[in-house]
Amino acid sequence: MRLPAMAKLQFTLFFVLFLTIQTLSASVDTISSDIKLKNVDRTVDISTQLVKVVSKIVLENSGKSSVKHFLFAVEEAAKNNLAFIGAKDSNSKDLRLAETTVKGYDYVKFWRVELKEPLNAGATVNVVVETVFTKALQPYPTAITQQEDQFVKYVGNLYTYSPYYTSTQKTSVILNTKTVESFTKVKPFSQVDGTIIYGPYANVGPFTEKELSIHYKNNSPFLTVTRVERLIEVSHWGNIAIEEVIEIEHTGAKLKGPFSRYDYQQDHHSGPASVRAYKTLLPASASDVYYRDTNGNISTSNMKVKKDSVELDLRPRYPLFGGWRTHYTLGYNVPSYEYLYHSGNEYLLKMRSIDHIFDDMQVDELVTKIILPEGSTGIKLNIPYSVTRLPDSLHFTYLDTKGRPVISFIKKNIVENHIQDFQIRYTFPRLLMLQEPLLVVGFLYTLFLCVIIYVRLDFSIHKSEHKD
Amino acid sequence: MSLEIESMIRYTSPINPAVFPHLTFLLLGIGIFFTAWFFVYEVTSTKASRDMFKELLLSLVAALFSGFGILFLLLWVGIYV
Amino acid sequence: MPSTTETLPSNGRSKGLFQNTAGLSTLITVTVLTLAWLAGFASRLFAVIRFESIIHEFDPWFNYRSTAYMVQHGFYNFLNWFDERAWYPLGRIVGGTVYPGLMITSGTIHWILHALNIPIHIRDICVFLAPVFSGLTAIATYLLTSELWSRGAGLFAACFIAIVPGYSSRSVAGSYDNEGIAIFALQFTYYLWLKSVKSGSVFWSICTALSYFYMVSAWGGYVFIINLIPLHVFVLLIMGRFSQRLFVSYSVFYIIGLLLSMQIPFVGFQPIRTSEHMAASGVFALLMAIGALKYLHSLNPKGQWKQLLILGGMLAAGLVFLAVVLLTYMGVIAPWSGRFYSLWDTAYAKIHIPIIASVSEHQPTTWSSFFFDLHVLVCTFPVGLWYCIKNVNDERVFVALYALSAVYFAGVMVRLMLTLTPVVCVLAGIAFSILLDLALREDEVPEQSPDSEESKSLYDKAGKVKKRTLEAAPNADTGLGMNVRSGTLIAFMILLMLFSVHCTWATSNAYSSPSIVLASYGNDGSRKILDDFREAYGWLSQNTAEDARIMSWWDYGYQIAGMGNRTTLVDNNTWNNSHIALVGKAMASNESAAYSIMTMLDVDYVLVIFGGAIGYSGDDINKFIWMVRIAEGEHPKDIHEVDYFTERGEYRIDSEGSKTMLNCLMYKLSYYRYDSGGSPPGYDRTRSALPGNRGFKLTYLEEAYTTEHWLVRIYRVKKPSEFNRPRLSLAKRKISTSNTISKKTSRRRKGALKNKPTVVKGKKVGKLE
Repeated sequence: MRLPAMAKLQFTLFFVLFLTIQTLSASVDTISSDIKLKNVDRTVDISTQLVKVVSKIVLENSGKSSVKHFLFAVEEAAKNNLAFIGAKDSNSKDLRLAETTVKGYDYVKFWRVELKEPLNAGATVNVVVETVFTKALQPYPTAITQQEDQFVKYVGNLYTYSPYYTSTQKTSVILNTKTVESFTKVKPFSQVDGTIIYGPYANVGPFTEKELSIHYKNNSPFLTVTRVERLIEVSHWGNIAIEEVIEIEHTGAKLKGPFSRYDYQQDHHSGPASVRAYKTLLPASASDVYYRDTNGNISTSNMKVKKDSVELDLRPRYPLFGGWRTHYTLGYNVPSYEYLYHSGNEYLLKMRSIDHIFDDMQVDELVTKIILPEGSTGIKLNIPYSVTRLPDSLHFTYLDTKGRPVISFIKKNIVENHIQDFQIRYTFPRLLMLQEPLLVVGFLYTLFLCVIIYVRLDFSIHKSEHKD
Repeated sequence: MSLEIESMIRYTSPINPAVFPHLTFLLLGIGIFFTAWFFVYEVTSTKASRDMFKELLLSLVAALFSGFGILFLLLWVGIYV
Repeated sequence: MPSTTETLPSNGRSKGLFQNTAGLSTLITVTVLTLAWLAGFASRLFAVIRFESIIHEFDPWFNYRSTAYMVQHGFYNFLNWFDERAWYPLGRIVGGTVYPGLMITSGTIHWILHALNIPIHIRDICVFLAPVFSGLTAIATYLLTSELWSRGAGLFAACFIAIVPGYSSRSVAGSYDNEGIAIFALQFTYYLWLKSVKSGSVFWSICTALSYFYMVSAWGGYVFIINLIPLHVFVLLIMGRFSQRLFVSYSVFYIIGLLLSMQIPFVGFQPIRTSEHMAASGVFALLMAIGALKYLHSLNPKGQWKQLLILGGMLAAGLVFLAVVLLTYMGVIAPWSGRFYSLWDTAYAKIHIPIIASVSEHQPTTWSSFFFDLHVLVCTFPVGLWYCIKNVNDERVFVALYALSAVYFAGVMVRLMLTLTPVVCVLAGIAFSILLDLALREDEVPEQSPDSEESKSLYDKAGKVKKRTLEAAPNADTGLGMNVRSGTLIAFMILLMLFSVHCTWATSNAYSSPSIVLASYGNDGSRKILDDFREAYGWLSQNTAEDARIMSWWDYGYQIAGMGNRTTLVDNNTWNNSHIALVGKAMASNESAAYSIMTMLDVDYVLVIFGGAIGYSGDDINKFIWMVRIAEGEHPKDIHEVDYFTERGEYRIDSEGSKTMLNCLMYKLSYYRYDSGGSPPGYDRTRSALPGNRGFKLTYLEEAYTTEHWLVRIYRVKKPSEFNRPRLSLAKRKISTSNTISKKTSRRRKGALKNKPTVVKGKKVGKLE
């Protein structure tokens, strides 16, 4: 059915208006008093440099009408450290999350979690919400000598911070160590092995905060990737080249005093908080891996090809103590049939926006650049989480004339949960691939033509003689 | 938008990467042969005996084969252009 | 390719056959030269294949850093660059103290490639520049030798110089140094000079001058050209071989070459003000005089003025020489500089300029290194020389002079073996060509030459046979027996095969180590790479402040600046001897004296190389005695070399070592907390001894980083603010006052002044206290 132009315009206008109203209204919510949290089981894992909180929530609808969504809140103190938030229902299916605000609570961050099926009056549903916080563990003391262990302080909330009334809740804090200097003691609590279990606490009102601080030993690697620049170059001759330029800093307790090589070599427990090596996992089909920095190749690395990944055991040139930095470039090739799909002249690239650098990683800034073949048009990018898209640019490499389009985007504060695929679509006429060899042919032909012209030239002024 | 991915097929190179070395040797070999022929022709002919048409044809064939040979050499070495 | 030795223009009958042969022979020449280029390129790649594409040694790092700077900031910023990150706090005027030819060559190649969208990194261009230019050197040598003798000799010479170790030692991939392009410029300039002398054309002389300009921009060894060419002209004048061609070519070359050479900022006005360049000017003046006299003589050719001519010539020569001596005496012309004077007086440097004497490349050459670097060529080159002198003409006089002077200089300094290598290749090529010609000469039927290796050359048979039979007709004993001929040929082939095997082996074993990366091989052949240098420089560049100053011995200055990107105090340029002496004094003094020097110089970190844990023999303790000598040269009252030796005059670091040695800063920094190293712990593997002074503490420095195999040790210098608070016990913090009871009571509050002068109004005070 072909609409006349005017009708098309009106339809678009109404549609856009409708969308705008939806989005505007969607960003303000009210706290429903019908919802109650029957039981919350919180697991706070602070055994690594990240704070991972998994809340198993049993939602109860104590009102009369069905409820389609509920609000999840994050405290004011922690909201700047939040890197990732995700929700799943009891069947491990992802639930939709949208950031929202509530009038009167400007200092709190809220997320609206959409339930798969509306919750009827009087019914309960199980939801699992996972949050990951970065830079939430402070080294205390801030500077240690080479021999000392690293102690960090965690400051959190003893109770679940929620806009709803919580009937019962329990929190277990996983430390993986028995060496705990001090921790908040609010009965009932128990310390079992490397875990401290708080609770069960009953009848906690909404938005209650009580400080939970634990000062404990944590020698796990405290590495922050301050910047990673990921370059993906697509070639239609069957190869995708990936290169990552990574700057890493040890953000644990700083090294105080001298570094003694003798102590470090003799005593195997020297430098317990230092990082000697870490493992990076690459895609399974990765080949031609190189690991270098500005001064050349770094030879201290090992590569193991496993069934579903390539495991690289990377050792930086020097061990990383608190406050020490290093940088390196890691690159590899993957075949194009793993990630590139096409139908006709339409192509679709599906790749990870960031790849695994080390376990429990914490990345401050990610810049991803995708270089498409010369002559690609109609480029559309689709990413599952919000990123800031930078302006497109051009990249010039072998056998280019106009330059290759580069799509780039930037994201801050990233953790392992952000390792997800993005999709980029573009149109590329296959005949353009011939441009590359024809360019070389043309260049060589001009050289030959120069020779042909040169032998026909005569520069002599007059005949010169040779005397001996 | 992700509906379409089921209808798309995986992309493979128009030329199997395993034959890159063989193609390189073949095309570059023929290209060098024609280049040498052109070169000898240029050196041995005088102003009178030169034939423009033969020169142009020889150089075109030499450039064609050498050009494609160089492309496959680049691809074989790992510079995926 | 133009070749003036081809003399077959007008042989109409068998034109087709000749032309075919000519084309075929040109094709063979081109093929052989291309193969020589490939062979030369390939034989220099050992280090790149074994390790990676990286700049080697020390000097190339500065060249690389300058080239990178030029590529990033543009040519004029490079020419005007004042580097404040070297020679802290003095800085270095890079534009005026460097030969820019190398950087300009790499920069131009980089610019061209990037304009064509071929994105090769500047480091790879720098690494592979020398092998590429070795191929060009082979071509230039071919041209030179074919001017001198024949095409066949040219091909031999080209193949020789492509692989000979004497040249490849300084031009392996990664050795990014001036010699890589300078030898090419040298050979090319000499070729053009011979061409211009032979033809007397202004065109070729201008080409010579331009090539000379490139040589001046490339290497300080251009002084060799500017003295050899005038010497050649002078000898020709003495031999009575004056001609218009010589006059035209030398005068054009001298004037244009002089003006062009002064365009390089580093050279500046030296060509008219230093003794090294006076030979050229003197010979120019002499040539003018002789030319004038000859012209006068030609006006009146009766021959009665011949004696007058000779007398006039000698008078002119004497006048010129006296003028030069007078000007040198008056100070207008600077005398010979230390570096060149030490070529004549070999003991001069050791006494007066220890820095020059301390470089291992400046030591005299041993006999074995002649053979190692040149193999069979050194035996055959006198043959070529003899043939050149026997069949003398203008060009062959030149090559004879070149050979004789190069042999002398190569005997003085190991480094100058490099200038001997090209002429040895040329003359050996001539000798081999004559030998092959004798063995293969046939009267009628061209014989099939034996199937030779790719690096052996074929030659232009047909043309040569024609020429030789014309000249050899009067000689009766031209025939050689069949067996002698084939025996000679086989021996000759074996000799050449052995030569190429030796060249490849020498390049691979002796000259292909990057010296930044060390490798050791285990018992099972597995290779362990010791990457300590890059580990230390990487740590420096990432974990120290951006403007931190690093003090180390001058050997490592360029590497610290290039890889660590930090400010250094002294580096390999060694232009300021007193600054180096100050650093040497700091290393040689005890800790507190060294600390005062280090705070004065504003040093943040100290870097030493210590090889005792792995047995590395190029470390600072082995170089230490040179530090002492250089320091003693400037501070003879504070540092005495004898203090660092034992009573018996031995240089030791164990318990027998002298007290000064065991307490100096260098010793302490090398052996601080060094207790590993096998059995017994703390054993120094390089000196094979246990250090005498162990378990000491450092007061003024703190260990910042030591690499995995203890090769590089970095210490942080503590700031004065960390010191000027000696720890006082609590009792000492209170200052006790005296127990005087105050005389002031509640009633008598007024205090009293002691010795208060009583002043009575109107009366003069007698004495004021």
